[in-house]
Amino acid sequence: MSVPEAIQSAECLERTVEVQGIATHLFEAGNPAAHPLLYLHGMLDGNQWLDYHKAMARHFHVFVPDIPGFGLTARPNWMRDISDYVFYVRDLLDALGLEKPFIVGHSIGGWIAAEIAAWYPDRVSKLVLTGALGLRIKETPMPDIFAMSPEEIIGTSFANPMAALPLMPSEISVEYMFAQYKQLTTLASLLWNPGYDPKLARRLARVQCPTLLLWGEHDRLIASAYGELYQTLIADSSLEKLAGAGHMPMFEQPEAWSSAISQFLNQEGGNA
Amino acid sequence: MNKLSFHYHHMMPWPYLPDGYDETYDSAWVTLPNAIYDPVKGHDLFNRYFNELERADQLGWDSVIVPEHHQNAAVTIPSPNIMAAVLTQRIKRAKIGIIGNSLPLHADPLRVAEEIAMLDVISGGRIISGFVRAIGMEYFNYGVNPTLSRELMNEAHDLIVQAWTRPGPFAFAGEHFNYRYVNIWPRPIQQPHPPIWLPGSFSLETIDTAARYKYPYMTVFMSTEQRKMVYGLYRRLAEEKYGYEASPEQLAFCAPMFIAETDELAMKQAEQYVLWLFDKAFFKVRPQYVTPPGYFSEQSTLNMLKSGMVEQMMKKRSFKELVDTGVVIVGSVDTVLEKLAYHCDELHAGMIVNVTRLGPMPDEVVFEQQDLMARYIMPHFREKPATSEPQPVEVSSL
Repeated sequence: MSVPEAIQSAECLERTVEVQGIATHLFEAGNPAAHPLLYLHGMLDGNQWLDYHKAMARHFHVFVPDIPGFGLTARPNWMRDISDYVFYVRDLLDALGLEKPFIVGHSIGGWIAAEIAAWYPDRVSKLVLTGALGLRIKETPMPDIFAMSPEEIIGTSFANPMAALPLMPSEISVEYMFAQYKQLTTLASLLWNPGYDPKLARRLARVQCPTLLLWGEHDRLIASAYGELYQTLIADSSLEKLAGAGHMPMFEQPEAWSSAISQFLNQEGGNA
Repeated sequence: MNKLSFHYHHMMPWPYLPDGYDETYDSAWVTLPNAIYDPVKGHDLFNRYFNELERADQLGWDSVIVPEHHQNAAVTIPSPNIMAAVLTQRIKRAKIGIIGNSLPLHADPLRVAEEIAMLDVISGGRIISGFVRAIGMEYFNYGVNPTLSRELMNEAHDLIVQAWTRPGPFAFAGEHFNYRYVNIWPRPIQQPHPPIWLPGSFSLETIDTAARYKYPYMTVFMSTEQRKMVYGLYRRLAEEKYGYEASPEQLAFCAPMFIAETDELAMKQAEQYVLWLFDKAFFKVRPQYVTPPGYFSEQSTLNMLKSGMVEQMMKKRSFKELVDTGVVIVGSVDTVLEKLAYHCDELHAGMIVNVTRLGPMPDEVVFEQQDLMARYIMPHFREKPATSEPQPVEVSSL
């Protein structure tokens, strides 16, 4: 695959790639000779190129797409459950020429990443799940984000709300509110009910690659108990909890989050 | 022909709100603890409400109407079909409107088709069958995905109308509902089927569907300006898209009404009851519950964001503002006549759906309101006064 020379370590290239007829907006950065890393963003993200992306790009050849329904990638109406996203990301790997990348997934993107690793274990060399959705613990339900105001969503997601500043719009315009509504609609189509994949827990036994479960210690959205559950279900996995972080550790503890990821991905072999 | 038909809407509110209610609870919907509901008082209340509806029947209303709403203090009618079953035995002359069954909430719309058909047979063909999408709050109650709301609504509608009109058995193959054998017993009396009304707030799609099928479109709690806009849209769609002229019987408006000897007295007496509805009950709701994501189409959402319609509807409004904008109709007989005449003559609306019972309003006040309406308002819009004698429906003439 030819990579434009413009891509240097912290510079990024913004482009669009067609996947299943969906014009997918993405950022690409890092040394093309480095190991490729696909980053699947969480539910407050999309169309962002921020410090934590740059930190990953210092070590890896990073691809950061907007998942359909977020950022600048539209969601076609037929795309309405997690399996549609799994097939989509599977085809995205081909479209980007990624044979066996590292996959790092956060929140909703973590759910998709976990499914990919279960369905297509030969297409993931290492997996990082951070604050990932996808499972259910009856005693620890996810709070109802759809009943929350934007302020409450931020307050619940961040252990330190000041860390949310990079996500704040400069003004609350009609366009901004409309984009938020469309993003929430995508989340509702995936999360309203039941909001997890009842079959995923069983299927995680198929995940073969080394896996890091990286959770904010104070994640009030997807409690760290979910990280613990993922750990029991994925054979070669370890769990690391980040102090001083909630559901958004890449904003709250960017250095600890980035170094945990690069250390895990750079080390030889798995968790053993 | 009557210029205006009269329909008596009952929300069956729960008026016994505890001390400190305003400060303690942020919503009369979804999360208001049901410990506040007292079933023994509820028994008494339901029977008082039935008596009131019986009275409306005797006084000449064209129909009595009940809605479906769930888990809230403003409307205690989770099953309007059960309510309608009771009313078939109490209401002797008027039609019985269920406005309407919340189709997307019900996993089995065939059951709705069957129940309405039963009610139509039991009542001798007096059922008006409204269909609604359910309001935002109820998607939280029922766990139904709001992003599927419109699809579920449309498909359930198609199934029900087919179940009523196509000879069974036949198969129904939908995206969400699939039946190998649709063959309902009983079938409805009214042919081709009981009248269907569509209440609406601001969805363009609902107005379009209503205009397409010539279903009466009922505005709910809108201002006069908003009614003017949506009726205009309905009439334009009818004419330009569907090639006919909409009749006044296709345009209904649902509004709280209060009459007194003078405007001043009416304003004074109505205020606390109207504000009960707006400040404590129907409109006391967390904003997030009102518009769950995906409930409105992108186009409707964009229109609403640009026009600020939802904010307007949900913001706290003074009583005077509610009256001045026409959301509620309050005044002396002459004032109310004038306001209703405006809706007939200028907005081409032909059906008023009045909400009289508001929260803690005592029965004697309700009865007085009924009497005033029946004596001074209704005759004005009728060719001849409706008889108060029971008029059994002649099945053979249907």
